[in-house]
Amino acid sequence: MAELTPAVEIRDLVKDFKTSFRRQPLRAVDGVSIRIMPGEVYGLIGPNGSGKSTTMKALLGLVAPSSGSCSIFGKDSLQVDSRQDVGFLPENPYFYKHLTGAETLRFYGKLCGLGGKALTARVAELLALVDLEEAKDRRIGGYSKGMLQRIGLAQALVQEPRLVILDEPTAGVDPIGSRQIRDLIFKLREHGITVFLCSHLLEQVQEVCDQVGIIFRGKMVREGRLEDLIAIEDQTEIILKDASPELIAQITALAGTSLIRTGKPRTTLERLFLRETLGNDS
Amino acid sequence: MTSSAAKPKDSHVLRILVIARHAFTQLVRMKVFYFLAIFAVIVIASNFFDLPQHEGPEAVGVNVLRSIKSWSLGTMTLFSVVLSIVATALLLPKDVEDRTLYTILAKPVPRFDYLAGKLLGVLFLVFVSMALMDLLMTLVLQIRTSAVLQQQIHMGQQLGWGPEEIARLKQETLAQGSTWSLQAGVLAVFIRSSIIAALALLISTFSTSTLFTTIISFLVYFIGHFQADVRDAFLHSESGGQGPVARAFALLLSLLLPDFSLFNVIDSVIEGQIFPLPMLEKLMALGLFYAVLYTVCSWFIFAKKEF
Amino acid sequence: MKGWQKILIVIALLLSAGALRLPYEAALTQDLRQAGLLAQPLPIGTREHIGQTSSAVALGGLRTLVATFFNLRAFTAFTEQRWDDVAETYDTIVDLAPHTTYYWETGSWHMAYNAAPYYREQPGLSPLRKRYEWRNSILKGRAFLERGIRNNPRDWELYSNLGFMLSDPNKVRAFSSPAEAFSAAAEAYRIAADSGTVLPIIRRTQLYALARVPGREAEALALAEKLYAERLKNRSPTLLCLLVVLGTHQGVVQDPAKRAVELFGDEAKAYKALGYYWRDQTNFFPMDGIATAIRTLEGRLSIAPEKSILLEKFSPSAGTDEWFH
Repeated sequence: MAELTPAVEIRDLVKDFKTSFRRQPLRAVDGVSIRIMPGEVYGLIGPNGSGKSTTMKALLGLVAPSSGSCSIFGKDSLQVDSRQDVGFLPENPYFYKHLTGAETLRFYGKLCGLGGKALTARVAELLALVDLEEAKDRRIGGYSKGMLQRIGLAQALVQEPRLVILDEPTAGVDPIGSRQIRDLIFKLREHGITVFLCSHLLEQVQEVCDQVGIIFRGKMVREGRLEDLIAIEDQTEIILKDASPELIAQITALAGTSLIRTGKPRTTLERLFLRETLGNDS
Repeated sequence: MTSSAAKPKDSHVLRILVIARHAFTQLVRMKVFYFLAIFAVIVIASNFFDLPQHEGPEAVGVNVLRSIKSWSLGTMTLFSVVLSIVATALLLPKDVEDRTLYTILAKPVPRFDYLAGKLLGVLFLVFVSMALMDLLMTLVLQIRTSAVLQQQIHMGQQLGWGPEEIARLKQETLAQGSTWSLQAGVLAVFIRSSIIAALALLISTFSTSTLFTTIISFLVYFIGHFQADVRDAFLHSESGGQGPVARAFALLLSLLLPDFSLFNVIDSVIEGQIFPLPMLEKLMALGLFYAVLYTVCSWFIFAKKEF
Repeated sequence: MKGWQKILIVIALLLSAGALRLPYEAALTQDLRQAGLLAQPLPIGTREHIGQTSSAVALGGLRTLVATFFNLRAFTAFTEQRWDDVAETYDTIVDLAPHTTYYWETGSWHMAYNAAPYYREQPGLSPLRKRYEWRNSILKGRAFLERGIRNNPRDWELYSNLGFMLSDPNKVRAFSSPAEAFSAAAEAYRIAADSGTVLPIIRRTQLYALARVPGREAEALALAEKLYAERLKNRSPTLLCLLVVLGTHQGVVQDPAKRAVELFGDEAKAYKALGYYWRDQTNFFPMDGIATAIRTLEGRLSIAPEKSILLEKFSPSAGTDEWFH
């Protein structure tokens, strides 16, 4: 199989921000490397101020790296055409309040070079996808939070990008809206679209992501496939130290059908997160 | 999801026009614009009636036409300058504040296209508004001119003037009314506001607040009217009393500021002077030069700006 | 690239672009001036220029309205005889509307024709003070009108007004010398008359002023003869008398009475006209040969010596010490 171009390749990204003249610059991102292959759903999690947003902005060319590089499908982030393949949903998105939902989508579509009948068809398609058809002629100023997120997602998808970047897609959205967004992300994955999201809502990240990276104070502290990082909860663990095979066989026989598995124990994502960031042990 | 038939075409001009049209609709739907526009329309329409501004020593006979032109062009100037500065000054900060800038720049939109589009949007708006005001002014002038003409002819006949003299009187009166030179004057007002809009764009790329941009732009507009004097002082400084520091300062000012006093041609047009086409073309070329220069400089600063 | 470095590069770019366009703009300004679209630079001071430009920029087309309102305010000050306020307000008005003849005329009129007599009539002032204020107001009026001329070098009405003020016998003594005043008046009238757009009387008033400048009688005589030859309407009594007087002064007229009768047609008319002219000596008109002519004509017309015009007394002339009391 030929080498696939990674959808996202961030290599040793470092970003310093100047604060004031005398003080040391603030290092927001410190040597972060991320590689996302096409078709994956990657979740970046971390506390506030850990550098998540900065990493995303560097990927989108909104900030320039102090050192290191970012590329999307092989194209450097600082070039404009790298953005042809990516759609971005920012945190707490604002859109032009004076436009309606449909007009907003048309505007972004035209910015990407779409037009004519193709654009009209695409807008209708997207509105159906995010379930905003009834509200398409209402001004954005009158949208609820959930509707804003959904129109934001539609806007991110307008030019059929191969990569979608979502910054806190379900923040502040009610459980129902939240569920809708989650379903949309699944749909995206079904269609082979790469998703790069970051969120505080770890439950949801757990639900949708294949890969997860934990970022803290600008450094990537833990990264890997989700299955490798977490465990399933609803079981009782009996942790034995230095158990002999005979003992294990006895317990197995005793447990009967309620026994699921023996092996090495795993933790939950939440516990892992807290351990890595605050140093609490479970 | 359907797969797209062809890769969307990548046209700078189209993109700039999209952003321009969008900026236009955004500004038009702002209340501030409505108030300004209504004010301007009221002032110009007031010339239909006989008001205090039509009495007084300036407004006798043909002079009333001059007074109307002065008022209307003065209002157009005020409106276009205020709109150019304020609208341009708020566009970029508003996008940054609303974070809509992220969504636009996250699309394959070159930063130059974004700037050019915003500027063009403001200029469209100023142009359209001025066209409407011009229409109104021309209408008023036509009506008033025929009234004044009747008055003048009547007076001439009473004084016993012959047909030749009356024809000359008619010609003189019509020259004070709505002429092509007057339209050229309106165009000059537009050119001036384009220059100031481009300048405001430049300032807004490195300023952080709308207020700062607005104030500096107004200042430059004001001082720019003296640029010609400073330039003359530098080029023809016979007075050896000027020290090298003063000369250097004069040079700096002459080079940096645009020469807005060139647009005093508008006053002459109000007086009834003819505005030949080559002169107008030169002014247009100058306006284009400034607009392009300032946009390029804006791009230079904006291209590497971080958000 | 750092932020301040970027700004420096932009400034360098602007400066070099400025160097490119500077000659273009200078040339364009010249072109526009020649086409009559831009005003020629006026011989007014820097402060005045700044004031006018600032009001032009700040108020634009509203200047004329603001000027009108200030005019009303000036009128109120005038009715209340606050002359300093009147002067100040007119200074502001002409900054706003420097090309409106009316304001220059009215402002100078208030000073020279209203404020001056006011101060002369003020009961509470000493004669010295009265004279000082009277003189000051007239000089202010003159300066204001001259400023108006500097701002409007082609406004013939202003020149006429200046000539009128400077040859006004009620004001002449306010100026440095009558000769200077009449000389300047003649010049102002000449410029106005040369334009060809004013009434013929202006040319005659030029003559009347010129005739009163000692030392330029030859010039005046030439002008008088030219006007006499030009048209019948020019032959006013004053002009005819001047022909007699100036001719006598220059020595071309030996018998003034004969010349007078020649010009006027008969002795009675000549006597009447010369009588009126004789009374004008308080207004600085030259009197060469008039006394002789009047005596001769009185003899011929058999007028008693006690009733001679030459014996009449004149009241104090305006501006002399006796005039202020």
